[in-house]
Amino acid sequence: MSESVGISENKGAVISINSSLEDSVKDLLKKSMEKGIFDAVLIPMKVPAGDSFVYVLIKDKSLLNNAFPIPPIMSVQGAKAISSVTRLGKGNLKIAAVMRPCEIRATVELTKLNQTNLENITLISMDCPGVMPISDFISEPDKAMKLFDNAIKTWDDKIMRPVCQMCDKSSMVASDLHIGTLGSKKDTFFVISNSQNGKDMLDNLGIKLKEDIDTWRAKVKDNNEEKMKKRKKTHMDLKTQIGSLDNLIDMFSQCINCHNCMRVCPICYCRLCYFDSDKVKQKSEDYLQMAKSKGSIRFLPDTTLFQIGRMMHMSLSCVSCGSCEDACPMSIPVAQIFSMIADETQEIFDYVAGRSQEEPLPLKTYNEDELHEVEDAHD
Amino acid sequence: MTKALKLSIKPEQGILEFLRFLLENGKVKGVFTLNKINKNGAVAYSLISNSDELNNAVPFFPIMPANAGKLLSRFTLKGGATEPVAAVVKPCELRAFIELVKREQGKLENILFISLTCGGVYPLSKAVYENVEKYLSEYWDVVKKGEISVDLRSACKGCTEFSPYNADITFDLLGNNDLDKNCIVFLNTKKGEEFAKGMNAKFLEKELDNKKLDKILDKRKIEKKKIFDELETKMNGMDGLIEIFGKCIGCHGCSKVCPICYCKLCGFDSSDFEYRSSNYEAEFRKRGGIRVPPRTLFYHLGRLDHISISCIGCGSCEDICPVDIPISVIFKKIGESVQKMFDYIPGKNIEEDIPLITFKEEEFAEVEQ
Amino acid sequence: MKKNKDFMPKILAFLCNWCSYAGADLAGTSRIKYPPSIMAIRVMCSSRVDPILIIDAYLCGFDGVLVAGCHPGDCHYQKGNYYTRRRFVVLKKIVEGLGLESDRLRLSWVSASEGQKFAKVSTEFTDNIKEIGENPVKSEIFL
Repeated sequence: MSESVGISENKGAVISINSSLEDSVKDLLKKSMEKGIFDAVLIPMKVPAGDSFVYVLIKDKSLLNNAFPIPPIMSVQGAKAISSVTRLGKGNLKIAAVMRPCEIRATVELTKLNQTNLENITLISMDCPGVMPISDFISEPDKAMKLFDNAIKTWDDKIMRPVCQMCDKSSMVASDLHIGTLGSKKDTFFVISNSQNGKDMLDNLGIKLKEDIDTWRAKVKDNNEEKMKKRKKTHMDLKTQIGSLDNLIDMFSQCINCHNCMRVCPICYCRLCYFDSDKVKQKSEDYLQMAKSKGSIRFLPDTTLFQIGRMMHMSLSCVSCGSCEDACPMSIPVAQIFSMIADETQEIFDYVAGRSQEEPLPLKTYNEDELHEVEDAHD
Repeated sequence: MTKALKLSIKPEQGILEFLRFLLENGKVKGVFTLNKINKNGAVAYSLISNSDELNNAVPFFPIMPANAGKLLSRFTLKGGATEPVAAVVKPCELRAFIELVKREQGKLENILFISLTCGGVYPLSKAVYENVEKYLSEYWDVVKKGEISVDLRSACKGCTEFSPYNADITFDLLGNNDLDKNCIVFLNTKKGEEFAKGMNAKFLEKELDNKKLDKILDKRKIEKKKIFDELETKMNGMDGLIEIFGKCIGCHGCSKVCPICYCKLCGFDSSDFEYRSSNYEAEFRKRGGIRVPPRTLFYHLGRLDHISISCIGCGSCEDICPVDIPISVIFKKIGESVQKMFDYIPGKNIEEDIPLITFKEEEFAEVEQ
Repeated sequence: MKKNKDFMPKILAFLCNWCSYAGADLAGTSRIKYPPSIMAIRVMCSSRVDPILIIDAYLCGFDGVLVAGCHPGDCHYQKGNYYTRRRFVVLKKIVEGLGLESDRLRLSWVSASEGQKFAKVSTEFTDNIKEIGENPVKSEIFL
């Protein structure tokens, strides 16, 4: 993704929908492949059994007919998919990646962490209605699909992941190109460019950026405000639930230390997590000593350490996608808790994870004169 | 004839009294068992050193939050237990620990193994969405009759290894009509006898009721066949595999909770099989597209090859899967067919080498063509 | 699925340095004909072949995978091929149990002097694979 030109320009393009929004988006992608703008497209497809969706790197453009730009679930976080393609260096293929805003933001964070190479990649996002929890979908795929199709039309998020229901960044543009469905006239959608790369792509397709996108901006603003209200309320409720160490331990009491949350998290890229390494493995006499000093210890005693430790390691880059909560076998509201802490830690530095490639990671930079409130008081 | 104890109380209390006896008399310095950790009924394994803390212990609770064999391996990985510890574990968890000891991932010394004839566990989802305590009386009723609870893990429903091997002490619970009033505790080893000496209970000599256990075994065999046959209909070649594993999200949770998967850095998480752009470009010469992240089936088939010889069929993998793939049935079915070739029951005999690290000079001539 | 019997199978062959690779070499120097289906990878001992390499080859789309080593008792490292035999037996059982085409996997003992045998094994295996057909996995997207 090349330098961001920002969407301070108030012009976009308006595209007519012929059959459906998804088909129109796929048409754009097909045309781009035909014109050689891209060699491959990374986009979700339905699996053969019909009970899930997975990212596929498509070379044969006829496969695009069966692609789903906005699937009802997020089985694998898109940033993980992109990282899997380019982690070990850019390739020769020009790839368009179609994913949700939080997946784009996670990709931007991973680029800053050297886990993704975005040269030759064009990121395309869209206004996101949210995703359903995976377990809700796979139990009854057909019914869930209908519910989701309805939700896209009405932008009603009741069926979505809890963190999606309070996501105020569902239209945040961190990509090269953004599909704006909010605030557009009937049977049309906006195409908004956010970078030179995006502009070039539209130029190549002969799409001119000359329409006003004020109605999109306005609807997005309304939507974000409503979501922000929900977010603040949920966070307040959560705070009372986990307001002390006892309550926090209680919240995580069902945790079985499987570390699924860590493994599906796009930001947690470490091959061997600190909390799986030798550092947390101790001798039997040490465990027995711990048991003696407290009367009894949970075995393994690392549950709270893992949760708070993971918060410390990744909250500055957390994009609140909610993949962790979907993967938790004990239905602990991990995403809601981590997302709340992420808001607070990112706020210290006025940082929004993945908002811009240019913004350095807060812990990889500093100002000589800052954050004095955390230091010891001097005379 | 084996030495045994008769405790004139129901087993859930009997085990607590026995553990209290062991701790308070200094026979063990710690007890490793399931513990209620909050008022909502969440249970977790705990290492208990103060006998007061035993008040919250629920050693025979029908939930397996983690395979205890894996936990015992962690406990003894950096060196065997330096003081005596009693561990209350299910038969499959004990077998898992033995398999891990064979792989030098744990040490047996100073651990008193207490197990039971096992009625199975409920899937973890039951503990998430309901209060398992509501089901306890129903559960014990079914155990009394030696039948199979309908809501158990599929691995437990078809489990034929419900009698523990290598336990020093076995609480014989399955199929005993008077389970509400008393329980028979077999002292299988000299060690078991030593630790039980002084316990306030009736000491006697008893024979394991093999007829009763055989009846239960038959029921379990029938259930196992049903479960395996059902899988057979779905698993018909490559297409079937692609369908079953289509929704796999590559979280590798199955590997992480599996007691046999002990590798610190699994090959499938390492850079060994990682794709770079040139691999994707090479794939495009054959395929019009490729799933990302790639090699889902490769991971499962590879893991099957590496661990099927020791799969103890506990079912932890299936419980952890976020998308409900019937992993434990697949691994148990294939695992048993592989183990049968060598007449090997994983975790049964600590002296028996894992079949893949040994050989006979003359065998399997038919496989060479 | 249409079986194209005229296709030339692609067979990946893991050949141990001391016996089967030398045997293959001998087939070559003796001008003994065998089909161009065999793609050889030389390993020091057949027991180096982790079965997951065979699985990888199968899923990559190879129509057949051959593992060839010294005759039991003649392994350059004394015992390697005994382990190979056991591992292969386990892999075959797994592949059969999953309903996959286990005939695509073959284990053969070929000594350094058995150029003729190598050619025979290669020809037979190629013919078998032609009967079974091309590996449909090579065009699969959702692996």
